[in-house]
Amino acid sequence: MSDHAIEVRRLRKSYGGVERLHGVSFSVGYGEVFGFLGTNGAGKTTTIEILEGYRARDGGEVSVLGADPAHAGRDWRNRIGLVLQESELNPVYTVRETVAMFARYFRQPTDLDATIASAGLADKAGERVGRLSGGEKRRVDVAIGLVGDPEVLFLDEPTTGLDPAARRGMWALIEGLRRAGKTVFLTTHYMEEAQRLADRIVILQAGAIAAQGTAEQLSRALGHGTRISFLAPPQIGPAQVSAAVGTPVEQDGRWLGFHSDQAQRDLTALLGWAAGHGVELTDIRVSPPTLDDVFVQLAVPAGEAREDGS
Amino acid sequence: MNDAALAVAQARYALKGFLREPRTFVYTLVLPLFLLVILNGIFRGRSSFFRLQVPFAVYYTPAIISYQIMLAGYSSLLIAVTTERERGMLKRLRGTPMPSWIFLAGEIMRTVVVVAVTVAVLVAVGAGVYHVPVQAHTVIGLAVYTVAGTACMCALGLASTRACATTEAASVAGPFITLILGFVSGVFIPVSMMPSWMLDVGKLFPLEHLARGLQQAFAVPGSTGITAIDLAVITAWGAAGIAAALAGFRWQPHDSW
Repeated sequence: MSDHAIEVRRLRKSYGGVERLHGVSFSVGYGEVFGFLGTNGAGKTTTIEILEGYRARDGGEVSVLGADPAHAGRDWRNRIGLVLQESELNPVYTVRETVAMFARYFRQPTDLDATIASAGLADKAGERVGRLSGGEKRRVDVAIGLVGDPEVLFLDEPTTGLDPAARRGMWALIEGLRRAGKTVFLTTHYMEEAQRLADRIVILQAGAIAAQGTAEQLSRALGHGTRISFLAPPQIGPAQVSAAVGTPVEQDGRWLGFHSDQAQRDLTALLGWAAGHGVELTDIRVSPPTLDDVFVQLAVPAGEAREDGS
Repeated sequence: MNDAALAVAQARYALKGFLREPRTFVYTLVLPLFLLVILNGIFRGRSSFFRLQVPFAVYYTPAIISYQIMLAGYSSLLIAVTTERERGMLKRLRGTPMPSWIFLAGEIMRTVVVVAVTVAVLVAVGAGVYHVPVQAHTVIGLAVYTVAGTACMCALGLASTRACATTEAASVAGPFITLILGFVSGVFIPVSMMPSWMLDVGKLFPLEHLARGLQQAFAVPGSTGITAIDLAVITAWGAAGIAAALAGFRWQPHDSW
């Protein structure tokens, strides 16, 4: 089990007699940024807390850096870094004091100022944590996670609740970790985040793995292809367009749209039909497949899926 | 850094944070000084204590010291540790290589420093302003009871964190229990004015024995005030507190499980 930084096989966990993880298996290679995706309640936090050694499992095998987190000790903790989802920092200490105290807990901490700077907090080092913004506090969390110079860093929803600018800042930070060769286990419920950062992605749904692969593999395998959407005059309905392009067309508010596996052919058909019938289409958009489509497709239980076209 | 040095660093860090909280300053230094001044302002003259007639200041100075030991050792530690647990801070610490005992040792050492400083201030004010005599036997009894009382109260404070599911619960329970015990232990009202059943209730708890032992050290000429029964009750409560804390200390916040 040591070819991978993290190896999980048939992991099971129940709460109050109800099984919440139904035999989950995956592995994370050394130096990989691994995206662990799921909606709230999918079992992400349960899984990551088992990997972090906080929770006991009911079944299966788990190995992190070659050790079972349930029985791993101080040496193992020296090699992992944690960024927890909900763990406050004492507001009365400065950033530097906070990170310095955590550095003392580790056998071989990194250079303090370099770590604070790499977390983008160089100009905030002397500031009290209580005066920081939400995004800056999250950066302190990451600095604490990194100060022990870990081989594996667990990042549990690092951008949840951050504003868009702070989120992009956090993304840049995580991209820096990839370049530094860290193994990163990232949980998120933002598709865009996993797509941008993760080398490989696992999508967890209701305690089981619904899909896994690279972002491109997932969107190709599960997505509907290219999304074409546009605004049409009010008298044009989805049925008429559908007849023209030969594929189901959906209406979403004022928008009409469809998924296409052959964008050039279908766009030509659409525009030819519109020109031939004197229909003026505006705001024509052609978007490549995204993981969001995959996620929406997976997260909506079968039977409740949105009705396609006519 | 070895573990002993790490524990000292943890204590210094905890003390630094403690001193930066204005609330802390008010509760741990202003409040006991205020009580000492108020009580000595209300009660003038002498009180009967163990068939002795002693000035009220000689009664109240050790009484407030015992109360302060409970306030800082029990109440304040209970609130601090419960708050850190519910904010997820203890959980984060558990995820580091630091052995858990180092955190607890740091909190206890921090408390010991706070108790030592505040007790010294109370003694200085009692002696300097209210002319309470402080002799060699007094100092010996003061030292022994302060050490035993602080250890006992810290153990009980840590044990009580298990019973407080929220920061709010700890913030109510700590000061309230301390206040109730303060009354039944004769901290605020001289024992000579209290009904005997109330004193009997008070005798079941460690604060009464801490207060009585300290009062004897101050009031009884030539006596250190150290008695087997008072030390035994304080030690027994402390041992029970350590056992309960070891058996049921909780590191995870309640919302995460």
